[in-house]
Amino acid sequence: MEFPLLSLIIWLPLVGALTVALIPKDNKQAIQTAAVATTVAGLGLGVWLFTGFKQGEAAMQMVEAYEWIPAIGARYIVGIDGISLFMVLLTLFMFPIAILASLGQIQDRLKAYAIFMLILESAILGAFCALDLLLFFFFWEAMLVPMYFLIAGWGGKRRVYAAIKFFLYTMLGSAFLLVAIFLLAWMHQKQTGSISFDLHSLLDLEIARSTQLWLFIAFSVSFAIKVPVFPLHTWLPDAHTEAPTAGSVVLAAVLLKLGTYGFLRYSIPLFPKATVELAGVLVVLGVIGIVYGAILCLKQSDIKRLVAYSSVSHLGFVVLGIFALTFQGIQGGLLQMLNHGVATGALFLLVGMIYERRHTREIDEFGGLASKMPVFAGLFLVTVFASIGLPGMGGFIGELLILAGTFLRNPWIAAAAATGVILAAVYLLWAYQRVFTGKIDNEENERLSDIGAKEILVVVPLVVLMLFVGFFPRYFLDRTEPSVRQVLTRVEEKGHYREPEIPDPVAAAEKPAGGDSHGGHGAMP
Amino acid sequence: MGTAVFDLHALAPELILTGVAILILVYDLFIGDERKWTLPIVAAGGILAAGIPLVTLGLSDTTRSLFGGAYVVDGFALVLKGIFLGASFVVLLMSAQYVEEGDYHRGEFYFLLLSAVLGMLVISSARDMISLFVAIELVSSPTYLLAGWRKRDLKSNEAALKYFLLGVVSIAISLYGMSILFGVTGGALKFTEIASWMSAVPSGSAMGVAAMSIVLILVGFAFKIAAVPFHLWAPDTYEGAPLPVTAFLSVASKTAGFVGLFTLVYLAFPAQSQVWRPVIFGLAIATMTVGNLIAIKQTNLVRMLAYSSIAQAGYVLVPFAATTREGSLTAETFASSVTYLLIYTVMNLGAFAVIIAVARRTRSVEITSWSGLSKYAPGLAVLMTFFLLSLAGIPPTAGMWAKIFVFRSVISAGGLANGALAAVMGINSVIAAFYYLAVVKKMFFDPAPEEDLEAIPVPASLAGAIGIMAGITFVLFVIPDVAVRLGYGASLV
Amino acid sequence: MRLMSILMLSAALFSIGIYGVLVRRNAVLVLMSIELMLNAVNINLIGFGTWLRDTAFVNAQAFVLFVIAIAAAEVGIGIAIVLAIYRNKASIAVDEVDSMKW
Repeated sequence: MEFPLLSLIIWLPLVGALTVALIPKDNKQAIQTAAVATTVAGLGLGVWLFTGFKQGEAAMQMVEAYEWIPAIGARYIVGIDGISLFMVLLTLFMFPIAILASLGQIQDRLKAYAIFMLILESAILGAFCALDLLLFFFFWEAMLVPMYFLIAGWGGKRRVYAAIKFFLYTMLGSAFLLVAIFLLAWMHQKQTGSISFDLHSLLDLEIARSTQLWLFIAFSVSFAIKVPVFPLHTWLPDAHTEAPTAGSVVLAAVLLKLGTYGFLRYSIPLFPKATVELAGVLVVLGVIGIVYGAILCLKQSDIKRLVAYSSVSHLGFVVLGIFALTFQGIQGGLLQMLNHGVATGALFLLVGMIYERRHTREIDEFGGLASKMPVFAGLFLVTVFASIGLPGMGGFIGELLILAGTFLRNPWIAAAAATGVILAAVYLLWAYQRVFTGKIDNEENERLSDIGAKEILVVVPLVVLMLFVGFFPRYFLDRTEPSVRQVLTRVEEKGHYREPEIPDPVAAAEKPAGGDSHGGHGAMP
Repeated sequence: MGTAVFDLHALAPELILTGVAILILVYDLFIGDERKWTLPIVAAGGILAAGIPLVTLGLSDTTRSLFGGAYVVDGFALVLKGIFLGASFVVLLMSAQYVEEGDYHRGEFYFLLLSAVLGMLVISSARDMISLFVAIELVSSPTYLLAGWRKRDLKSNEAALKYFLLGVVSIAISLYGMSILFGVTGGALKFTEIASWMSAVPSGSAMGVAAMSIVLILVGFAFKIAAVPFHLWAPDTYEGAPLPVTAFLSVASKTAGFVGLFTLVYLAFPAQSQVWRPVIFGLAIATMTVGNLIAIKQTNLVRMLAYSSIAQAGYVLVPFAATTREGSLTAETFASSVTYLLIYTVMNLGAFAVIIAVARRTRSVEITSWSGLSKYAPGLAVLMTFFLLSLAGIPPTAGMWAKIFVFRSVISAGGLANGALAAVMGINSVIAAFYYLAVVKKMFFDPAPEEDLEAIPVPASLAGAIGIMAGITFVLFVIPDVAVRLGYGASLV
Repeated sequence: MRLMSILMLSAALFSIGIYGVLVRRNAVLVLMSIELMLNAVNINLIGFGTWLRDTAFVNAQAFVLFVIAIAAAEVGIGIAIVLAIYRNKASIAVDEVDSMKW
């Protein structure tokens, strides 16, 4: 038997949580050490996972399958492919940072905090790796309780309201998901005689078009709440704003990605016909999200809320890219998931640092901070650039690919989405300007000191990653390519869909009639 | 009849319990106040002793039929008896200290409790109308008295009166239905006889009368399980009755009502699902929705749990309503109901046990009096959260599986109506999460009252009850297969 | 025809019983109304038993004996509860027992 690396990665944080649970709550040093050690060890395993990942394979790798609940046919199956690889790595990367960042900030009930963080990590990793739908649902639900307590226990003023809102929205979504999962399993039973929640065997089902539509909607509502797609986004600003810094970081960097990941892993491959029919709806919702989120960003006075709304806008891009149903779009979406995770995570960290000093997040309270906190301002600026998507940053490649992919489908949509890029530059730079440039006009800001070595240490890895993605995107895209290609091929075969081709100017010139010009990707005979 | 008329082995649990109940009544007469503390031990010993033949019966793995098929010990009966004995044991643990501290007649308390348990054992095996009727009365009558146990407290009186009146009227309605069914079926009393008569006579005026009597009988049982709109007694009775009795009512006596419903629907009326299915469909939807909606605005924790248990009863009804289009009943729907009942029993008892523990200090079950509980009783607050999450069906608790199994059976039955049922249940589980979370919020995120922040001492027996229930809730979460297997083992189909 | 009249009698008794339960305020009278309902059941059973004869005749009588016995026990319990209320409240009007609502 192969070494169960994935299971180790998934369950290690839970073991860490149990270890923390055994430490007396007054021994804060030991609790911190245990939590940090667990997450860092997880990151180490992540490196191992990355090196062990076979590039160029579309199929699932490192699959582990065991019996779980034989009586109802649920199995424990985990595995990764190009799509989930970077999500797992992102999770493993963000958690140590989130925990390190909260070391100084969280004093109250540190033990419970560490336990919830670690349980949350386990659940998220499990959800990214699960290949059995019931197992996925199990991890999906398991995220609720720790996240609820993290927001409600250590959040801002309206934290309980935000936590309950988050909880109920997600639960509503998962109710749809559960019904749809059982419908699938039931259809499997009807068609093959045995009940199964195994994604792999469910992919072979023949599902009628109308059924696909319903199931697609049920799955997608659940995922859309998580992403969040307009108009199901209203929980997000509250949850993000009220959560403690580490909670916001995890929410933005990882949790939201589960929604978009769910689209790619479940909604699209399972229901290709419905995908082709309903992709337009999601594309439009994505664009609305981009523009609406950006406009709301412009009028925020709370900087954390601004970052929260920027998530709505940025994830609109991801949804747009995925449902453009072009190779470039999906690749860009995946890359953008990574970028957004890193950049927004960093923004939340930085906002958290300034909040720790001033206990306010009102933009008007600040001004001219750059003179007092040059390092901080510099890091903030780089992060803002990454979030806007300046060339050299990961966001640039991601958004470019998404826009290119969308352009193939519909130039107008791409044009509308492009305004989101401009707006992002406006609201982020404007916010930066109001906070950092000019003279200090608020006395309280006079006493501010720059961030210390520990805080720099937390942010720098993120900045490095932003630049790395920007300069070496192929490093990621090559690994996701086979899996993305596989998803698209599936949609083309089962959904009677033809990916828009990249117009080839040379061929077009040679054959002006352009009857059967081909080229680019995904051409079908 | 191949089997013996009087199989002592099969009847051993009931006989032991009867013996111990009478023993307690007599023993109580001859001991002084200083020795009364031995009573719960004798009662607990009796329950455990009754469990022994249950195990040996389970190992022998044969279906035993007594009294010409009126009394059957099969997988269903064994599993349900096991649940009843286990639940009663825990209720006993919960009530030992409570009864000790109040100024009550202790001997009679345990006698009545054991009598009710005896009725539950009988109802699991009852397979004809007479034994069903006797069994349900044997469950009900002692619990009427238990509900009014604090006889100098008007609220307790009121609880007993409402429970008694509605209980007796509902039984009378059921009996009237039974008497008519007896007539139209030509004197059939056993469920098997009724079932064969029903499948043989598909239509005609006799069938119309039979349909009416089925509905009358179901109404009686709807009262017992507190299904909406026959639920009105439940909140008042739960609030007024002594807390351990409330726990007992909300779990064991409700389950007894379900057992009657199970056997009737699956053994006596399976051929006439077009009659009872719409009734139960409506009951299930109304029960879930109304129970949950009214629960939201409760300020009294016990009352809230009363409405929540009404809603939970709706979830148990859901698989009944979800028979397949052909009208056939599947082992799957049956198993999911039994599994839900099992897990519900555990988690609800756990929640009540914590309430009893906390009420020893707060002297109140108003939700506001629980604010800041986590500050001075973190263990109890965490356990309460655990049980509430389980009731809401959220991991890491067995309640999640309970809900999932019900969902699964409804959806597997197929059809649009069943889909709608599943959707209603899904929305309800969100509503339910809302008010359960409100309690969690009170315990963890609201300030504690200033005066008294010492830890709450929990008596050993009560701690044991909480521990056992929390343990089972967690173990069944990790290995839900056990619960599912029990459910299938209990299947009557 | 004789069966029909017996059934009519029982139905009438049952209805009177239900009416009494719903309308009467005095707890003792409510208990008596419940007795009427149970006796309607007994009349039904005996009527059917006599009409069907054979084993049904015996079965019906057995059922009726159980109903009578248990009804007696029920009324005992009911009176006990009513007595407890009377001691606390000096009233046995059912609609005055309403300290809990919703």
